[in-house]
Amino acid sequence: MLRRVWSLTVKEFIHLINDWWMPAFMLFGGASELLLVGWATSRPIANLPLMVLDQDRSSASRGVITALENTGTFALHTQAQSMEAIQDALDRGEITAAVIIPPDFDNELASGAGHPSLTVMLNGAESTPATAALRAVKGVVRDLGEKVAFQHLGLSPSEFAGFDVSLRVWFNEELSEAYYMTPAELGLMLEFTVLLFAALSFSRERELGTLEQLLVMPFSSMEIIIGKSIPVALVGLFDFVLMLGAIHFVFGVPVRGSLPLLLILASGYLLVELGKGMVISIVSRTQHQAFLLVMMIGMTDFMFTGYAAPVESMPRIIQIVANIVPAHHWLTILRGILLKGAGLDVLWPHVLALVALGLVIGVFSLRFVRRALD
Amino acid sequence: MADTVPIIETHALTRDFKATRAVDSLELSIWPGELFGLVGPDGAGKTTTLRLLAGLLDITSGGAELAGYDLARQAEKIKRKIGYMAQRFSLYSELSVVENLSFFAELYDVDPSVLQERTEQLLAFADLTEFRSRRAAHLSGGMQKKLALACTLIHRPQILLLDEPTTGVDPVSRREFWDILGNLHLEGTTIVVSTPYMDEADRCSRVGLMYEGRMIVCADPQSIRAQIQGELIELHTEDWQMASAFVETLPGVLEVQIYGESLHVFVDSADERLPAIEAAFRDQGLVLREARRATARMEEAFISLVTRLDTARRLEKET
Ligand SMILES: Nc1ncnc2c1ncn2[C@@H]1O[C@H](COP(=O)(O)OP(=O)(O)OP(=O)(O)O)[C@@H](O)[C@H]1O
Ligand SMILES: [Mg+2]
Repeated sequence: MLRRVWSLTVKEFIHLINDWWMPAFMLFGGASELLLVGWATSRPIANLPLMVLDQDRSSASRGVITALENTGTFALHTQAQSMEAIQDALDRGEITAAVIIPPDFDNELASGAGHPSLTVMLNGAESTPATAALRAVKGVVRDLGEKVAFQHLGLSPSEFAGFDVSLRVWFNEELSEAYYMTPAELGLMLEFTVLLFAALSFSRERELGTLEQLLVMPFSSMEIIIGKSIPVALVGLFDFVLMLGAIHFVFGVPVRGSLPLLLILASGYLLVELGKGMVISIVSRTQHQAFLLVMMIGMTDFMFTGYAAPVESMPRIIQIVANIVPAHHWLTILRGILLKGAGLDVLWPHVLALVALGLVIGVFSLRFVRRALD
Repeated sequence: MADTVPIIETHALTRDFKATRAVDSLELSIWPGELFGLVGPDGAGKTTTLRLLAGLLDITSGGAELAGYDLARQAEKIKRKIGYMAQRFSLYSELSVVENLSFFAELYDVDPSVLQERTEQLLAFADLTEFRSRRAAHLSGGMQKKLALACTLIHRPQILLLDEPTTGVDPVSRREFWDILGNLHLEGTTIVVSTPYMDEADRCSRVGLMYEGRMIVCADPQSIRAQIQGELIELHTEDWQMASAFVETLPGVLEVQIYGESLHVFVDSADERLPAIEAAFRDQGLVLREARRATARMEEAFISLVTRLDTARRLEKET
């Protein structure tokens, strides 16, 4: 039994070596994608188009405008002449932010009992630049002194409630988005790589016509699956370590929790995705079909990972469905260990969920191989 | 033969796909050492039969025994006794000739101490010794088929199931392949081989003709040839379309088959009809390049049988 599994494994590796682009993609695709995303998101947002309506026209108001420009976050779009012009530009998406300086700004600032205020309008449709813009304006305003009251239009106050606290962290420590983006990206890349690799394993043989040959051999389905899984698991784990190294050493993403625990859980998660890939592989007739199925499933999973928007803010039904998506649990675990230093004491429900999902998927794929040719 | 038990025996073996009954109540007994040919038009159910016997498909109803094991319950045991070569057989093209052989040997748990000797034997047998380290992808089609056969032989199977092993192979390689099969047959291996080539069917010890999932005829080649009614006359003409329409109207003509430019005409008595046909062509002003008696081959027998079945089938549908 061991000998046969071993020769199957060796054969899979020979396939891989000869089919060089596949392992190259497996090994380095994820890591280079991560470097790219990390690099793209690590740079601070700059040169956002800003419109200013200066009704005061004092040296103080000009000082504010210069200060805004000096943050580098903004590039002055135009000096507006009216509120309508601003409204218009915002509607057309030409500008990210507008600052309105009221006529009494200088006086209020100068007098001891004054209440100087500024109005900021943001293009809420693009939340990331809007957040960056607000952060920059606040920074400038803070420098002007505590007196300046601050009013935002176009955004409900609750939306940015408590923003000040996080603003401090983000602004003062100059942390980049890479810190938050790359772990999620890492988790997803691992899913995609393993899923795709596993999904192609059977459909490739089916397409080549060697699957039929494999199935008349005196193997149990278990042996076939194990033989085919070992290379995927090994390459997947290697890929994971490579990607983890990339985000840790290049973008300084910390590993606050236990590294061995992370590796063990990553291997476990990898097996779950592998089982899923095997099922895809068996149900699809061609590699092409398998590939499309992986894309579809990957994209759906993407939604449940909280990568784009937090799952907690999604409709109830989606939150429930998220529980049966392995990637959802995996990303919670990954973020927890990397950023929060969480251990099993906190993460155990997710680990348990992964184990349960893994068992279900494993049993399913075993039963399926026998039906592969019907 | 009569005193041994069949090595393959099926009882009302049936397999349905969604809409089609691919194999229909098949009753088949194959004795040890037979070289059994499975023929039939496209979609007759040859592949399905072989895949059922190889344990690749589940049986819808009925049953079968191979090498004394029950197919439904002891498929894993049977798998060690058989060698199966799929219609679309393909090797691991990245592996070399020898690597392919060792791979199959490992998967079949061939004792490593005999592997070396057996590999050499098979390489010589398949005439592949000098290509031993060539990648399978770089072998010719015929050599690939021979390597595939060698791979299915590495565990010394008692029963060989070959599904159209020579389709798409040039005539010389085809002959070589069948010479190998002939040797295996002499050594006593039981071989079941499906083929679209009637000259190959002629080399079998017994031939089964399948039609729409059923076994229509199952006999040795001579008996099958003997089933043809009448005697055969071959005609070479200038205009086969006109000639065939004309010859069908002549007295004593039972059946006309068209092979390119030549017509194969079955008549009740060749001695009597041959001069009559020649005369009729002359009278009609049709050119007859050659007209001679011939002995019927499997091919004519096969076409005759299938045409009769097709006609019966059509009539059945119409009524
Ligand atoms: N996997 C399948 N799913 C559905 N129908 C099938 C399947 N395999 C075969 N069939 C149908 O069963 C019938 C018998 O097919 P089979 O492949 O056994 O014929 P064959 O005699 O081998 O033909 P060929 O000479 O073309 O190889 C055909 O009608 C075919 O369409
Ligand atoms: Mg076939």
